[in-house]
Amino acid sequence: MPDPDFDTRVKLAIYRHLADTTRAPSLQEVAECVRASSSQVEEGYARLCRNRVLVLESDGVTIRMAPPFSGVATQHRVRVGDKEYFANCAWDALGVPAALHAPGDVLSRCEQSGEPIHLYVHENGPDPEPCVIHFAVPAALWWKDIVYT
Amino acid sequence: MLFFRSEERVNEWCRDGGLPRRPLVSLEQLWQLAVAWYATRLDRSSRRPGPDEMRAIFARVGLLGPFWDPLSDSFGA
Repeated sequence: MPDPDFDTRVKLAIYRHLADTTRAPSLQEVAECVRASSSQVEEGYARLCRNRVLVLESDGVTIRMAPPFSGVATQHRVRVGDKEYFANCAWDALGVPAALHAPGDVLSRCEQSGEPIHLYVHENGPDPEPCVIHFAVPAALWWKDIVYT
Repeated sequence: MLFFRSEERVNEWCRDGGLPRRPLVSLEQLWQLAVAWYATRLDRSSRRPGPDEMRAIFARVGLLGPFWDPLSDSFGA
């Protein structure tokens, strides 16, 4: 029977590492943090993926997404303090300052024109800026291909 | 979930890519979704909202209809 507390510790190790360093931890770094074997952490990863709080690359161990954070470079950059994070999408770009409870700058672009879009996000929301967000995929299909979504 | 400078740019993008035009979300609505999903993400007790909670969150910010229903079968789910 999987220990839900173990999965929580794995999840927190991933998210806190991302918040502190802006990059996704390796399997070994997570294993050291939670004092478990790599195979135990891999099993925890699989359960976290099923709960949709983690997305892995095809190797099954490299973290692609721990939403709102991205493990790979994207067009959505978020500056909070002296750190710069990558977010997975427009929603997650606002999710980074929301998760960190800190003001930040979202640096992205208009998908059609390529024009830069710069949003300043206070702790209670973004400053007004002429932009809209298009959701191309219905909610029921988001996890069919979450990277495309 | 992409940023666009205006609704006109969205329409161009959909037309150029042969993609269906889907609902637009305002910056204020997106912020409310970001807070609902992620404000507790770094907490021990956090979890992703379930389907009923998702529907309630979307309704609260004015996003209604089958597009926003995580269990809708209207789109071939």
